[in-house]
Amino acid sequence: MPMDAALAQTEAPAEGALFTLVETIEDLSAARSVDQIAAVIRSAARRITGADGVAFVLRDDDQCWYLDEDAIGPLWKGRRFPLTACISGWAMLRGETVVVPDIYADDRIPHDAYRPTFVKSLVMTPVRPADPIAAIGAYWATRRHPTPDEIAKLQVMARATATALESARVWASLNESLERRKFLLRELDHRCKNTLASVQSIADQTLRNAPSPKAFHEAFEQRLAALSRAHELLTREGWGRTTLAAILQVALEPFGGVDGSRIVAEGPAIDLRPESAVAFHMAFHELAVNATRYGALSYPGGRVRVRWSVDMAAPVRALHLEWREEGGPPVSAPSRSGFGRRLIERGIARDLGGASDLDFPPEGARFTLETPLSHKIGLA
Amino acid sequence: MGGPRVLLVEDEGLVAMMMEDLLADLGCEVVGSCDSIASALEWLDGANDGLDGAVLDVNLGGELVYPVAEVLAARQIPFAFTTGYGMLPENRFEAVTILTKPVNLAKLEAAVRAFGG
Repeated sequence: MPMDAALAQTEAPAEGALFTLVETIEDLSAARSVDQIAAVIRSAARRITGADGVAFVLRDDDQCWYLDEDAIGPLWKGRRFPLTACISGWAMLRGETVVVPDIYADDRIPHDAYRPTFVKSLVMTPVRPADPIAAIGAYWATRRHPTPDEIAKLQVMARATATALESARVWASLNESLERRKFLLRELDHRCKNTLASVQSIADQTLRNAPSPKAFHEAFEQRLAALSRAHELLTREGWGRTTLAAILQVALEPFGGVDGSRIVAEGPAIDLRPESAVAFHMAFHELAVNATRYGALSYPGGRVRVRWSVDMAAPVRALHLEWREEGGPPVSAPSRSGFGRRLIERGIARDLGGASDLDFPPEGARFTLETPLSHKIGLA
Repeated sequence: MGGPRVLLVEDEGLVAMMMEDLLADLGCEVVGSCDSIASALEWLDGANDGLDGAVLDVNLGGELVYPVAEVLAARQIPFAFTTGYGMLPENRFEAVTILTKPVNLAKLEAAVRAFGG
């Protein structure tokens, strides 16, 4: 079969090149990172174009970054040039393929950068011409006009590269989302367990001080509801910082809320971290329970004033907060120190530092807190 | 009193109160109760002779308690971790007892027994 053999001989290189091009497009579509894309181009572009060298150039803001190359002699791998000072920049800024048959006869070429190299002619094609993000260059050691076929193959490769770079970006952001999801699940687990530990604490402490199962049930349910409302508020704020006024409002809702008459709140905007918000919330809850049961809120004319301030002139800035009940029945100090009282007296002070005091003069219960401003609590 | 003298490091007030009570129930004397690495290290710098053991919450408002654990380890004072994490992040103290939250009283008791005192 001499005729067939001759035919096969002439067709083999063309078929081989086409096969390589298809294989390269497949490899590019499987690439998951810019480095992998660069590796595919490095290993295939010269075979496909028949050039003496190829370079893969990324656009990095206003610079061209010669990321990778495969050539008979060194080009500019790893170097960066201004977009306006190299031919890959010219191609990317205009979104056009540029053909230079004789580089020393073309003013767009920075000749000094080419003198140490073998390059005499080139084709540079942008990747994603509408909004170029990279370019692929093919270089020859002789002055020559590249064939339309060589230019077309380079452009096909550039199109496949554009798709590959886009999928690498999507792949990276997908991976990031998955990592973020793993992190969030772990944080959620951590928060859940901490919340369960808080519930365990409330149950344990309420049980210690409960005179009867009924009393336990009532107090436990109320405290659980208070914790739940605190969480609701924090979730609404995305577990970021929240304000003292918002916590007070939410904590006092079951007791009539901050209505400006029976319950009055005055003070500058103070913001605090979620953990401290829970401590404040629980303390306000216990104060309100006490006021409703024995204090100002148990009487028609009684009222609660909550006032806070920050002395800007003090050397160490601190929050002063006062909860004062008035117009209620005459009060006296409770005989034993229950969990509610511990929560009020120690809960906030332990979390934020400083000192707090709960006392019971006959005119009404009084709670004061002085705590230094910190990363946990500050002026909003 | 004769029970072990224990340092508690826990940043959540509610949990701290319970741990103090539970430790007291188990016959411990809670000689220090700190809510941060800084305050725990400061406490350890002060007079704390005769400390028999410590119970350390691993995550203190985003910081890991390990600097405190290292000081205790260097002084050969036994300690146990409490944590809301299923697995400890970057744990360098593999032999140390881990009490997962919510805390199991029997496990806390076993950990405290190991403190001696």
